[in-house]
Amino acid sequence: MPLKLLLQLSWRNLWRQRRRNGMMILAIIVAVGSLIFTNALIRGYQYDMLEDSVLNLSGHLKLLAPGYNEDPSIMSHLVIPQAFRLAIPDEEIYHWTSRIVVPAVVISERETRGIQLVGIDPKDELKMSFLAEVKILGRMLADERDQGVVVGKQLVEQLDTRLGRRIVLMTQGADGLNREAGFRIVGLFDAPGTSLEKRYIFTGRGTLQSLLDTDAVTELSVRLKAGVALGKVKQSLRLLFADLDILDWKELQPMAGAMFEFSDAIVLIWFVIMASALAFGLVNTLITGVMERVRELGMFRALGMRRGAVLLQVLAESLLIVVMGLLCGLVFGYLLVYVMQEGIDLSQFAQGLEAAGMRSIIVPRLMTQDLILVSVLTIILGFLASLFPAVKAVRINPLDALQK
Amino acid sequence: MDKVVRCKGICRVYADDAYPVQALDNVDFEVATGEFVSLAGPSGSGKSTLLNIIGGLDRPTSGSVYLGDVCLNQLDESELSDLRLYQMGFIFQDYNLIPVLNALENVEFTMQLQGVHPGERTERAMATLASLNLDGLAHRRPAELSGGQQQRVAIARAIVTKPKVLLADEPSANLDSKSTESLLALLRQLNQEQGVTIITATHDPLVMRYAGRRVLLVDGHIDIDDSDSIDNAH
Ligand SMILES: Nc1ncnc2c1ncn2[C@@H]1O[C@H](COP(=O)(O)OP(=O)(O)OP(=O)(O)O)[C@@H](O)[C@H]1O
Ligand SMILES: [Mg+2]
Repeated sequence: MPLKLLLQLSWRNLWRQRRRNGMMILAIIVAVGSLIFTNALIRGYQYDMLEDSVLNLSGHLKLLAPGYNEDPSIMSHLVIPQAFRLAIPDEEIYHWTSRIVVPAVVISERETRGIQLVGIDPKDELKMSFLAEVKILGRMLADERDQGVVVGKQLVEQLDTRLGRRIVLMTQGADGLNREAGFRIVGLFDAPGTSLEKRYIFTGRGTLQSLLDTDAVTELSVRLKAGVALGKVKQSLRLLFADLDILDWKELQPMAGAMFEFSDAIVLIWFVIMASALAFGLVNTLITGVMERVRELGMFRALGMRRGAVLLQVLAESLLIVVMGLLCGLVFGYLLVYVMQEGIDLSQFAQGLEAAGMRSIIVPRLMTQDLILVSVLTIILGFLASLFPAVKAVRINPLDALQK
Repeated sequence: MDKVVRCKGICRVYADDAYPVQALDNVDFEVATGEFVSLAGPSGSGKSTLLNIIGGLDRPTSGSVYLGDVCLNQLDESELSDLRLYQMGFIFQDYNLIPVLNALENVEFTMQLQGVHPGERTERAMATLASLNLDGLAHRRPAELSGGQQQRVAIARAIVTKPKVLLADEPSANLDSKSTESLLALLRQLNQEQGVTIITATHDPLVMRYAGRRVLLVDGHIDIDDSDSIDNAH
């Protein structure tokens, strides 16, 4: 097959109808570019959400004692041996920690609230959760024996108390009996949104263990390195800890998980809509090109060009259009993302976002997998769209073409 | 003399319309290697039809066609395609050249389809163009050439592959009489000096004058074939 000749013909035919083909290429550039950009925005939003969710004390994965997820209390606990090492390769794991999380009631001089009391080891926690990122008024817990508590700003307002004051915490001990103790508020955290602030009170893990009369914890939380496949790690953890519940962040936060998955679908749906519009344009452009050249294509056949070669010639032509549009479109999309790399501030449009614990600035996030997806699908679609015109070209009877 | 083209009892009926048209009616026709034949006849007499059947562009409804020893009736679509590529040279009435290729590339076109090596290809194409005094125009595209020049480039393309037969349907239809004459002089020169076998279909009395043998078609059958008289004279 004289491929070089076919490509040469295709290339020059492109220039022959430069206005029409140029418009088509431009349409592909705009479509691919904006597709890349909007995808990047969706991904930005999606991964912000993932990060927020992971930092919401859930980590990527949690190992829980059986039953804890249904009925969280110290009664469902796990004991971590002294020199325990999580047998996950260092390339996969970012950090892990163990916590006690139990429901508790907090009582100030004036108010009572239900909260989650969390016993942490601050040196690990600062690599695990939002506590590392938020502003803290006063001080952070010093170590796992620290007897102070760190409370959300919002909750302190609700309890009508202050930094430095004491509060009473009431919860169930390991023996099933109630415990209560007074704690001094040593720090206030100011989290994005208000739900975290109202929900958690942190104290030292050892302190809480003494209060509950236990040396167990309720959970082991694992944070993975960026890009590590969640499913794989979950699988190997499952082999290691057959008797524990192993839940990933999507299971721990089903709403966020569903949104995450929905975003994946949106990316695809958005692509299909854009691409179908393009496909119609492409078919039209190519058909016009073929109809204009009926005589020429007929002559190719008369001179002895085989049908397959005619087919390839038309396909090559459309592929050139698609590939040129695609490449420029990828660059265009990249530039858009680059220009907007500081993020788009949505606070003007949606003032409720912050209150709902969402970030009001979306930073576009370019993902290789999306670039590949868009490229591959565009080329496949371009190919399918050019099949019809190409077959039409092959059907041309050289005699009819030359006589007309 | 050996016959390069042999047609036996050719009929061609166009039956696609309401009335079937008998374009060729039991035509027996042979061409010897090195002949320059002109098919003449009124419009609709079947000249193009016969030429297309000989060239493997069309198939007879009945009867058989041979090119050398090859029976065209038995070839399938792609074999006919190859036959046209390797054995036939075509000159069409108009729109002969590929507009996006220059003269040289147009001449190289069929060789490229044949898979001739690039170096040899260009060399042969240039040599052929030069022999037709077209080497100065090698890098012009068809749009930059006159009708006569285009037709000469088309001839260069048709003969560069050394076809068994050169088929020309109304080669002078779009040319003025001066260009027609130089075209005919060229065809005659190719015929006499290189022994190229040529069959043309034409209305043009000038073309008929240059041909060595004239065949008159009327209503799809051969009315007069002046080779008979030549044969008789011998
Ligand atoms: N594709 C076709 N379908 C139907 N009839 C056809 C077709 N092609 C040719 N014919 C008919 O066959 C007959 C012979 O046509 P042909 O083209 O061979 O004549 P011609 O001698 O070349 O005429 P002209 O001098 O006008 O070129 C005519 O009556 C024509 O109408
Ligand atoms: Mg004709």
